[in-house]
Amino acid sequence: MANTETALKEALTSIEGATGVALVDYTSGMALGTMGGSKTFDLNVAAAGNTDVIRAKMRTMEMLGLKGGIEDILITLSDQYHLIRLLSSRGGNGLFLYLVLDSGRANLAMARHQLKRIEAELEV
Amino acid sequence: MTVVGTPPPALPVRDKGAGRALSPMLTRLAEERATGVLVREHGVLHLAEGRVVHAESPLAPGLDVLLTAHGTLAATAWQQAAARTTGPLLAAELLLRSGVLPTGALELCHLDALYDAGYFALAPSSTPGRFRYDSTPRLGPLPSVPVVALERETLRRRLLLHRLWPDPAADTAPLIRADPAAGRAPANPAGPTTPATQAASATPVTPRQRAVLDRVDGVRTATDIARNLGRQAFHTLVDVRRLTAAGQIAPLPTAPSAPPPPPPLGQVTTDPDIALLKRLRDALEAL
Repeated sequence: MANTETALKEALTSIEGATGVALVDYTSGMALGTMGGSKTFDLNVAAAGNTDVIRAKMRTMEMLGLKGGIEDILITLSDQYHLIRLLSSRGGNGLFLYLVLDSGRANLAMARHQLKRIEAELEV
Repeated sequence: MTVVGTPPPALPVRDKGAGRALSPMLTRLAEERATGVLVREHGVLHLAEGRVVHAESPLAPGLDVLLTAHGTLAATAWQQAAARTTGPLLAAELLLRSGVLPTGALELCHLDALYDAGYFALAPSSTPGRFRYDSTPRLGPLPSVPVVALERETLRRRLLLHRLWPDPAADTAPLIRADPAAGRAPANPAGPTTPATQAASATPVTPRQRAVLDRVDGVRTATDIARNLGRQAFHTLVDVRRLTAAGQIAPLPTAPSAPPPPPPLGQVTTDPDIALLKRLRDALEAL
């Protein structure tokens, strides 16, 4: 089991095209750890904002009566991919990994696969 | 001896906007890289070299509750570790060394507990904080948090709660189920606009909120519910405020009590309190 810093570092270094990664608590919107990002891209702000994305999706699923859980959410921008992966097995504490990729360099399928592996290592 | 009838002039207060520090004392302690224990009205912060290593608050479930509630750790394992050490932080480190607990799980629970208790410890208080220089807190294997990060997060959380439902009454009072059909309870603040509120009451209750709702019995407060569920108190406050906004629950209305008596004038603390001296220094600096 990796500690948070190792997991974040691994995501940033091993995933091609990754420019930032954060581990976020989606009830409070707090980033428990961030790595990467830039002056113009504040990961803490992005983390807090993306909790609303997850909440909205969960509420929609609730209204539709869908029983499945969210594995990941992909948002494609013109020059970036944002990949959100929910940590599956931490009981009452909802956490997600938030990964920012440069769409020019990233391999989406590979990134998704690697993020899944990193999530599994962080698993409790 | 003459008795002075007029109240003393109010002490000059620092500009609130400057730095937006929640506790000027804490900011100063961080600057001087102090090590010790800061005791505030609603909680305790343990500082090591100016960083927060641990926080405790009677309003937030501790690390033990968060670790054991969801099967991350067996309750007996925690009790054994706690019996052999002097504090929750040392117990956690012992569990880490003995390999009972994975690093990541402990780190996350530790940070959860720290920010959660820190939120309450930094809540506005009516009494000055007190700092005890002490060499016990130290930077251990568990992550510590800079004071500014904790302050920033606490402010963000405060704003988040305010945005969800601006009345803090439900945070501390025993909660009761409100019948959404019966309309709004009269004690509600003139907060959110009506269309938003109506939309909210139509939203379904999530499973997370359902668990909170099931424990609302007219006796338990949000803190009790958090402890019962083994969840962070702040997270429970988020659910409670959302449910309040949706008209599902309401704080138990208390008998209208007399406004709190004004603080006695000229109250003298016999204790030559460091906090008091520091406040005096603040006041003199602000002149």
